[in-house]
Amino acid sequence: MKRVLVWDVPTRLFHWLFATSFAIAWLTSENDQWLSVHTFFGYLMLGLIGFRLIWGVAGGHYARFTSFRYSPMAGLAYLRQVLSGSGTRYLGHNPAGSQAVYLLLALGLAVCITGLFTQGGEEQQGAAAGLMSIAAGRMVKEGHEITAILMLLLVFGHLAGVAVESWLHKENLPRSMVTGIKDAPEDAPASRPYRLTGAMMLVAVTAFGAWWFFYALHHPIEKRLGYGEGVPHVAFVGTKLPDNAQWREECGSCHLAFHPSLLPARSWQRMMAEQEKHFGTDLALDESTSKALLDFMVNNAAEKSAREAAVKINSSIKPEDAPLRITETPYWVKKHQDIAESDWRSAKVKSKVNCGACHQDAEAGTFEDAAMHIPR
Amino acid sequence: MLRKSYTSGLMFMVIAGLAAQPVFAETPDQILASIQNDAKATPGFQGFSAARGESFFKAKHGKESSCVSCHTDNPAAQGKHATTGKPVQPLAPSANAERFSDPAKVEKWFKRNCNDVLGRVCTAQEKGDVLTYLLTIKK
Repeated sequence: MKRVLVWDVPTRLFHWLFATSFAIAWLTSENDQWLSVHTFFGYLMLGLIGFRLIWGVAGGHYARFTSFRYSPMAGLAYLRQVLSGSGTRYLGHNPAGSQAVYLLLALGLAVCITGLFTQGGEEQQGAAAGLMSIAAGRMVKEGHEITAILMLLLVFGHLAGVAVESWLHKENLPRSMVTGIKDAPEDAPASRPYRLTGAMMLVAVTAFGAWWFFYALHHPIEKRLGYGEGVPHVAFVGTKLPDNAQWREECGSCHLAFHPSLLPARSWQRMMAEQEKHFGTDLALDESTSKALLDFMVNNAAEKSAREAAVKINSSIKPEDAPLRITETPYWVKKHQDIAESDWRSAKVKSKVNCGACHQDAEAGTFEDAAMHIPR
Repeated sequence: MLRKSYTSGLMFMVIAGLAAQPVFAETPDQILASIQNDAKATPGFQGFSAARGESFFKAKHGKESSCVSCHTDNPAAQGKHATTGKPVQPLAPSANAERFSDPAKVEKWFKRNCNDVLGRVCTAQEKGDVLTYLLTIKK
């Protein structure tokens, strides 16, 4: 027996980065506040999978697909062997573990791609922004959730396998995935460490993280929305909405200039037709101003927008209704029904008209999921 | 040749400098003068009074809200819309140079806010008194 390097540095880095990415992406999936973190680890996983596919051809001996090319039948046969307590010890991936590797890579790829299209469809953001409708994005989201659950189950299977193998062959497999070293027969080939490739991986991941969190997200949203310090989380930057200086001036003097995409055209038409009783005030706008405002609002009304809020608000309103308050639209009501009464009454919120209390990007009109934070 | 380009460069800088200044069509005094012109048409007009303007500004006029509901009783301070909570920039020209510089805006807001506070348009006397009062406010 001798000590042999089995898992080269890039393979070990891949393993732990992939595991960590999946764990964090799973944990940040429920709360929109962490969407930017969730998405970062999604992109990272995608990159890691791409690397692993290349490394399966170009990497160290035990990392190459040719060293663990087993059929699913061989995997099942090996599982039966292990369950009867007589599994052969493999230095690299055993036949069952190989199936886990292939399936995890395939499912990981499916999770990443469905995630990409969920974000591109539902939020019209990210690398796949605009390639899919919101409705299609919602269907892809189902697939995203199912593949993620399957992947989690497979991770549990993988962990069980590691535990059983470690016990069966009296060796510490998790430690080997850290050190790379295993006890091996004299004739076993050793892998090269590939330290330089590993270092390059670390540099690439760090650079990507720095770019993502300090530039791609944080910097622009703070700059664009004029925030100072103390933004509690990183908000997402979507596409900029159509803007109009006159509209912002006229509609934004007394209240937030509610973006036209938050109500259908018929609501804006009614709003201007009834401007002499605009929530208790006679707007008394002259004809040319009224027309200019109405033109901007109708041209950019909810039905003209592919934004999530616009599409969902618009489809929730009955065709015969033309609500004047966004807070009266069924989608708004449903979306806000779980907010505690105490949060509404809080001094930082006070009123439903105060969108900006929780939606950092209310002024921009984008209402990104990740820009929502209830002040407490 | 050199001199010519120097001159035109200087001209350009002057024009660019002028263009960069905020353009206020009129001064508050010019706007007050035009209100005074309207007021003179009323028989018995005896000029504007800052004191009368102040009490008008701070009084209620049969409606729920008054001027101070949104502008606060210190016109040099930032106010807050009574219903929506949206910040209202200071009203006194000493604290906010944009105020009373655009006749169309002055017209629009007197019309809308007098209607909110009094349920009618304001007379030239009332407008002139209030603006006279606002011009006495020091920052």
